[in-house]
Amino acid sequence: MTTASNLTSASDYFSAQTLTLLNSLSEQLHKIPGSGIFLRYVKSSYQNDPIRSAVELFLVLFAIRYLLAREYSTKPGKVRLTEEEIDDLIDEWQPEPLVTKTTPFEDADLEKRAIIVGPTGPKSRLANGRTVTNLASYNFYNLVSNEQLKERAIQTLRTYGVGPCGPPGFYGTQDVHMKIEADIAAFLGTTACIIYAQAFSTASSVIPAFSKRGDIIVADKAVNYSIRKGLQISRSQVRWFEHGDMADLERVLSRMQKEQAAKKQLTRRFIVTEGLFENTGDMVDLPKIIELKLKYKFRLLLDETWSFGVLGRTGRGVTEHQHVDAAEVDMIIGSMAGPLSAAGGFCAGSDEVVEHQRLSAAAYTFSAALPAMSAVTASETLMMLQTQPDMIAALRENVRAMWQQLDPRSDWIVCTSAVENPIMMLVFKQEVIASKRLGLEDQLGLLQEIVDECLAQGVLVTRAKALSAAASGAKSDVYTHRPALKVCMTNGLSRKEVEKAGTTIRHAITKIMTRKR
Amino acid sequence: MTSHTTLHRTISFTPDAKLAPPENSSMSSTTKTGRRRRSSSIIYQEPPETVEQISDQAVNPNLNSQWVNAKGAWTIHPVIIIGLKIFFDIIPGVTQEISWTLTNITYMTGSYLMFHWVRGVPFEFNAGAYDHLNMWEQIDNGDQYTPAKKFLLTVPIVLFLLSTHYTHYDLTYFIINFLALMAVVIPKLPLAHRMRFAPFSGAPPDD
Repeated sequence: MTTASNLTSASDYFSAQTLTLLNSLSEQLHKIPGSGIFLRYVKSSYQNDPIRSAVELFLVLFAIRYLLAREYSTKPGKVRLTEEEIDDLIDEWQPEPLVTKTTPFEDADLEKRAIIVGPTGPKSRLANGRTVTNLASYNFYNLVSNEQLKERAIQTLRTYGVGPCGPPGFYGTQDVHMKIEADIAAFLGTTACIIYAQAFSTASSVIPAFSKRGDIIVADKAVNYSIRKGLQISRSQVRWFEHGDMADLERVLSRMQKEQAAKKQLTRRFIVTEGLFENTGDMVDLPKIIELKLKYKFRLLLDETWSFGVLGRTGRGVTEHQHVDAAEVDMIIGSMAGPLSAAGGFCAGSDEVVEHQRLSAAAYTFSAALPAMSAVTASETLMMLQTQPDMIAALRENVRAMWQQLDPRSDWIVCTSAVENPIMMLVFKQEVIASKRLGLEDQLGLLQEIVDECLAQGVLVTRAKALSAAASGAKSDVYTHRPALKVCMTNGLSRKEVEKAGTTIRHAITKIMTRKR
Repeated sequence: MTSHTTLHRTISFTPDAKLAPPENSSMSSTTKTGRRRRSSSIIYQEPPETVEQISDQAVNPNLNSQWVNAKGAWTIHPVIIIGLKIFFDIIPGVTQEISWTLTNITYMTGSYLMFHWVRGVPFEFNAGAYDHLNMWEQIDNGDQYTPAKKFLLTVPIVLFLLSTHYTHYDLTYFIINFLALMAVVIPKLPLAHRMRFAPFSGAPPDD
């Protein structure tokens, strides 16, 4: 009885307390100026409509709750750390080395690498005092020893100085740049041309200038590193087709066309391929690609880094060699650093193509312009190509002579390059690889030994060295480079010297391959 | 005393973020990229960005969405609302109720179009990294409950309450204004972050 009465008295006590609390609260509220108006308004807004009032009340409460909520991030992986944890992490951190440790193979390669002292040329002097036949430098027309070119270059250097001191768009363009642009455009047969300061970064800059995220690029699997970088930077969808396989290209193009039709998209579409491939040396089938491009409505971007100045009767490139109008190719990328022995690269095309690049191409807007000396050298070399076509014929003769020494007469290697290509890529024959069960490492080792043996005999050749696809940042390995020996022909050697060098290489290969292990 | 860091290894904490509600569809299959592809759903979640997109987004500050934190970007909202109200008042034959309702609807439609309908960025500076995000999701890099977002949510609610007052709590006007408000408030909820509704925004992209 006492507990019940205690409880009731306790509850009475509490209710009395809450009542007094509420009374005091309402008194306080009434003391705030304007509260009377506010309360009267809220009372009158009820208007006998409980649902609507409830909705409005809910909205107000929701707004207040939203205003009072705490900020947070929706990005995954954000964690909060205390100061000690941050200090711990900093203490344990070990920086990764910028350059990984070299493998023993790379070490051996570095040790035996030949060092050329003085200017390069068909006969080069090495650091160890020997003079060797240099078939490893890109010196196709032997322009490095051309005295007239040297005189012009020195004269230009004295007039213009060394560098243009700025990007082409910002007071870096000189009259020599405009001259070489006009020269190349006239030479190739396109409407306009734009010059880049470095040949390697030309393709990486032209491709992202035109192709963006959401566009489609169909590229040959064996394209070179600089094109791969350009494809990666452009963030476009890339579809690969088998190297040199036109049927596969057609299959990929028709599949892309169907996909686009299904999604009702209309994006920019490009085919990217090279004139003479840097990795394999062979040539593209340009008329067939033009036919496919017109049929499936793609644009063609042709990288003529190694074919401009080499192919065709006057060196105009693969368009002249295969009798295709240069205006059919939407963008022709080329290099003045290789066959022309100057420096820099170019992109030739229609007026719109070239004008767009003046503002949107990264390597044009954000890099210094080409030095005047190189631009003048390129102009001179171009003039020489046009006025002395026997230069090109002599190079082809030398290449033919070397082919005769190597390809049919060697049991071990074949040459995968096109017959007009002065860069000869020699790979092991398939039956040799199969019979000796040579893996990639074994082939690389054998090729390195062949290079060393040739050097011992007085001929400098080199292996084709390429970055793996993983190093270039590609997500998957679309193409593995076949280990190859690279022989770069030059005009500066007489036929006899070429034959002698070819024989040396052949004997060296035979010696290494037949050596008992 | 605490600070934010993005961590990938040793110490792992459960992140202090409200995760999206589980996707509500029956058919789902995991494709190569790990993206759950639902062939028959009407509500789907925008997939997280790839590494390339994240690095493209980090290149420059997002100029498209940064201005909401700038001076004057907050005061322009009441200014626009007052301007709209004056404009609708000027038209002859428009009563107070209609003019408030029209102001409300115009403001809600405009802010819906600007913040929730249009996707991507009107400039060309980050290679299309924000192509799939509308402006609300781009503001403050996707953070929720930031000051800008709090302000932008409060303005429509206050406008709605004003308009219900001035339309004398009439049911028809209330419903119209309320629907307009819902169209603007619901996409702003953290629940709706990166949520896509197929009838409005098309089927989920394939890649």
